Amino acid sequence: MLYNSKTIDMSTKSIYLMIAGILLAAIISSCKKAEVTTFNEVKIPTSSPISAGDISGFTKGTLLAGQTYTVTGDITVKKGDTLSAQPGAIIVVKNNAQFNINGVLNLLGSQDKPVTFNSDTNKPGTWGGFQCDTAQAVNIKWTHIDNTGGPDLAGNPRRTLVVSKLNVPVDIEDSWFSNGQDDLMGLFGAKVTILRNTISSSGSTDGEGINLKSGATGIVAYNVIFSQAGSGIKLETSKTIPFPQTEVAVYNNTIVSVGWRRGSAEPGRSVSVGVNAIGHIYNNIFVNCYHGLEIFNDADVKNTNYGNNLFYATVDTFTDLVVPTIKINIRDNFYPAGASGTPQATDLISNTIGNYDPLFVKFDGTVAAPNGFPNLNNFRLQNGSPAYGTGNNKYNQDLGAYTTDGKGNQH
Amino acid sequence: MISKFYAIIIFTLSATVASAQTAVIKGRIADSKSKEPLPGAYVHLDGLNKGATTDAFGNFEINKLSAGKYKIKVKYIGFGKFEQEVKVKDNEVLEITIPLAESSQNLKTVTLYGKLNESNESSSRKSEKTAANITNVLSVRAMERSPDINAANALTRVSAVTLQRNSGSDDAYAIIRGMEPRYNNTLINGVKVTSPDPVSRFISLSVVPSDLLDRIEVSKTLTPDMEGDAIGGTVNLVFKDAPEHEYFKANASVGYSAIFFGRKYDNFNQGSVLRKSPTERFGPDYKVPGGYFTRPNLDFTKNNAPLTSLAGFTFGKRFLNNKLGIIIADSYQNQYYGTNSEFNIAIFDPKNDNKPVISDIANRTYSTQQLNNGLSAHVDYKIDDKNKIALDNVFLYTYLAQTRLSIDTSIIGNNGGRVGPGTGTVYNDSRSYIQNQYTENLKLSGKHIIADHFQFDWTGVYSNATANSPDRADLTLNRLINPDHSSTPDYYDNISRIWQKNGNKDLSAAGSLTYTTDLNAHNSLQLKAGGLYRHSTRFNNQNEYQLKAAAEANGVKSVFTDIYSTNWNVYNTTGTDLHDKANYTAYENITSGYGQFRLQLHQLDIIGGIRVEDTKQGYNTNPVIPDERSNAKKTYTDLLPSLQLKYKLNELSNLRASFFKSISRPALYELVPTPTRGEATDVTGNPDLLHSEANNFDLRYELFPKNEEQFFVGAFYKNIKNPIEFALKNLDAGGQAQTAPQNFGTAKVLGAEIVYSRYFGDFGVSGNYTYTYSNIKTTKSFNSTTSDAQGVLHTVTVDKLQDRPLQGQTGDVLNVSLLYKNDKHRAFAQLAYTFTSKTIPFVYDGYGYDYYIQPQSFLALSGEKLVSKHFTLTGKVNNLLNTPTTIKINNLVQAKDVYNVSFNLGFRYAL
Repeated sequence: MLYNSKTIDMSTKSIYLMIAGILLAAIISSCKKAEVTTFNEVKIPTSSPISAGDISGFTKGTLLAGQTYTVTGDITVKKGDTLSAQPGAIIVVKNNAQFNINGVLNLLGSQDKPVTFNSDTNKPGTWGGFQCDTAQAVNIKWTHIDNTGGPDLAGNPRRTLVVSKLNVPVDIEDSWFSNGQDDLMGLFGAKVTILRNTISSSGSTDGEGINLKSGATGIVAYNVIFSQAGSGIKLETSKTIPFPQTEVAVYNNTIVSVGWRRGSAEPGRSVSVGVNAIGHIYNNIFVNCYHGLEIFNDADVKNTNYGNNLFYATVDTFTDLVVPTIKINIRDNFYPAGASGTPQATDLISNTIGNYDPLFVKFDGTVAAPNGFPNLNNFRLQNGSPAYGTGNNKYNQDLGAYTTDGKGNQH
Repeated sequence: MISKFYAIIIFTLSATVASAQTAVIKGRIADSKSKEPLPGAYVHLDGLNKGATTDAFGNFEINKLSAGKYKIKVKYIGFGKFEQEVKVKDNEVLEITIPLAESSQNLKTVTLYGKLNESNESSSRKSEKTAANITNVLSVRAMERSPDINAANALTRVSAVTLQRNSGSDDAYAIIRGMEPRYNNTLINGVKVTSPDPVSRFISLSVVPSDLLDRIEVSKTLTPDMEGDAIGGTVNLVFKDAPEHEYFKANASVGYSAIFFGRKYDNFNQGSVLRKSPTERFGPDYKVPGGYFTRPNLDFTKNNAPLTSLAGFTFGKRFLNNKLGIIIADSYQNQYYGTNSEFNIAIFDPKNDNKPVISDIANRTYSTQQLNNGLSAHVDYKIDDKNKIALDNVFLYTYLAQTRLSIDTSIIGNNGGRVGPGTGTVYNDSRSYIQNQYTENLKLSGKHIIADHFQFDWTGVYSNATANSPDRADLTLNRLINPDHSSTPDYYDNISRIWQKNGNKDLSAAGSLTYTTDLNAHNSLQLKAGGLYRHSTRFNNQNEYQLKAAAEANGVKSVFTDIYSTNWNVYNTTGTDLHDKANYTAYENITSGYGQFRLQLHQLDIIGGIRVEDTKQGYNTNPVIPDERSNAKKTYTDLLPSLQLKYKLNELSNLRASFFKSISRPALYELVPTPTRGEATDVTGNPDLLHSEANNFDLRYELFPKNEEQFFVGAFYKNIKNPIEFALKNLDAGGQAQTAPQNFGTAKVLGAEIVYSRYFGDFGVSGNYTYTYSNIKTTKSFNSTTSDAQGVLHTVTVDKLQDRPLQGQTGDVLNVSLLYKNDKHRAFAQLAYTFTSKTIPFVYDGYGYDYYIQPQSFLALSGEKLVSKHFTLTGKVNNLLNTPTTIKINNLVQAKDVYNVSFNLGFRYAL
């Protein structure tokens, strides 16, 4: 109020005077030689460094740049503690061990020096991943996490990364995940920021790529999901606890060849929205997925919106290798029958091979592939791709994970 | 096999009484006043080791006598003695009618020390009349006359007792005054019996054959000398005691369940079940190869249901000048029964005002074989008139083999791309399950009159119950039914194999000292002090293997054709033995002491005193990730005062009033924060659970017009702090809510009951009705929608208080039975009707709604006819109305179990 009355008092003339003064000051200062302060590069010691070698048990501190660690048994980070990793740290996990995070996880690699987590055997399903059920926060950047998902000692299948507490901040960016066995990410109730990651060939004969349930909120964008057993991205609210609702914006993801390994009794979807969840699904590219975009009848259909998605299949029909009598017309399932999702005017929906081909730089044409199948594709787009310039501008002018504005996936 | 064995016993025992004499003395014993026949009276001939017990119609026959003089003596507790000399000639059949007069004087001397012959109806009434607290007693004769093959069925005819039955099984737990089993105590011979059941503290009443029972006592109020953990009341199953004359009874019958007229009995190869898990056979590091697990127990076949067979005998005799008495009873039941069950899950529908809606539908058929064998032995030794020692052993064995075939489908959730019921992904789940249960209960007790006024009683009990369920195998297949109703083939989804074992062991010691003195001719004082210590331990061990579908070359799940050609990968090759969530050990130590007085004045009888119970409970689990809840200890001490007044209005009627405080402890599994497998949903324990404490007030008027007749009317009020109820709680790792026992505040229970029984000539009617009102105010989730400044609607879940009845509390309980007795044709028939009104089985978390078990009416018919001196034909038909157990939430059917009618035909032999 006070500020407003002042502005009203100010005459037009005084405004001109002020502008003139500012311009004058700018001219004078540009003639002046700027003062330069240079700091000498001082090495700030890492707090709580963890020395290289074997680690297990209750652990906190920092996994150091360039060091190699061998995890010999389960690692637990207690509530209030933090486990960090510096760029280039290499962690080899033995004995099917897992990380239990009750505190904070900070894996901060860089584009040049990613952090690496893998098992000693380098085979799918040979270590336990990050069980962050009651974590305080999870930050993962530029990190390779491969071959997770073996059963735990209690016989439970392990998701690669799981959070099951309301409003835990989970920030996963620019990282690579491959060959998990169950859900790759199970983020229940979390506040998620999942950007520019690549998830490959995960889930044995079940498991979603990014499973967001029980009141999860946030954004999932610019990710590549290739050959996931179940659905690529799944949104759901708990059946028994319908509020708070899961509400996630899913945009500019490239999802390819997912949903085949569960068999035709439970086809996987590129993206599904179910049980009282709200999705905002735009600008994604879906290629060769068993089912495309499925908005289930039990979703919060009223508040869910979608459009500007590109649907494509590289084959007319796919013959089930197990039951050759089953021939699946992928194009029929872009918006599967029996659900509430319907083609939108802004969608690019292919009606034949070649029509709306997104023109990936390199794609081997995979439809169904086994768990652990190598992802040697390059899902960047060739010039002339129909995905360029057809996006919903609220999110991006282009479709898919690789966009011309440089905001997209960096892999 | 078994029935042959019984036949041989009957034959040999009959042969021992055979001789060449020809005279017969027969007759009838009746109440001299009411002319009612007196069953169970013992007639013997003085100086001869010969006698007979009267049958249900008061008749007896002593045959194969040589000519001569005999002195007939009759002893019948509660009645005067009878003696008469008679003379018989060769081939003479002497008929004699013996009138007996009721004698209250006689009864008084008996109750002072010794035991009542409580196995018949009229002395049951006597014990109700003279009992210190409010009791109802059901005698063995009442059980023999009605269609009750086990204690569970028999109990339903005691005032205000109903039974809780579990879907798909015959298991049953007593509900007293409409209160859940958890608020009641089940005792055998006054002692708690450990349970192998993970869910209940008590053994199922259905495994106790009624043939073993001498009587069932239901106490609705507690005196300080009774254990304090009963809010509703205590059921005491009293096993047969050694009789003063040789006693032999046997019975056998066959039966059939009508549910198998409509469908086949599903079975599997029970012999192929491996009794030991791979870990038990080869050690904890053994990695199971894919082909290890057996397949025939997942190969389900459809057969005609075999006949149910039941047989039993009881034999008793006294030796060494009647000092040593032995009684042995065995009861064998091999039952085949089935349940057709519908099970639906209801959830909030946020799109329709949060009204409940069905989210999942399952149709299940159970086929169950349950073989029970109960062997009880009782030895008592009367050292002299002042000292008596008794040894009781009860051993129960149960073998259960069950096939459960289930078709499950989700309406909401679980990737629901469906246009209506019958579309979407459908799961076929087939389960084979066997279980061996052993319950051993050994009790040594003594009674000693150590000085003129002092009596010392002591008891030591060893009790051990184990249940072993090897290789519970569960096969899940799924297929997708498209919106056009075309279907994909069945895909192999998963197989789980679980070896599970649990056990409960109790060691108890109790002792009491009683001082009794006469104040004058009419008044007496009794002081009693005693204590009890019990150490209980429990373990649960589970070892689970998951067999996941082996993927085809392209990585896709395989199609299922039959169990023998299925390929699987053993997902966790070493099993879950070391870290299974369900593995735990738990203990409970109870130390208690009491002081009690009983003042018997001319018309007023006062019992009062105080009991102190100290409880220590704890558990230890071994999860993959240990946390502060991995083990815990709880301690609490309760002071339990009790005061009971009985005012004798006249010889035939009493007025009673009582106050007592009592508790209910959570079962050990309810504290352990790991999931225990339930029928439909798993239950996760809650270490924060508090024990329930109750203040109980009772008032009752009793009228005993004449032999075998009674009229009671009573009222009660209970204030229960922290009742334990089941509801959903927080999220598990999969984002799903769990069922957990919880405390929701304080409940008020108010009720009234009326009991009446009377005989009109050949007809008799007995009935009881209890009305109970209960109320508890608890918070429930309410989805509140508000609009913000911009007009955008926001829905949040908030707590809102709601009134509802206590979980498990039945409002109306009505039992009526009509009896017909024809002395001339020696026939007996009974029609028994039971009605219970709606009950909350589980607390629904949504505001405004609750689950209710719908009102149920049961009708049973039984009859018997004496065809010869020793043989009686028996017939029983249970569940004549084919009453289902239906649970509804509003008008939605959440669960419905159908058991159908069962028939039973057989005979009874009495020596």
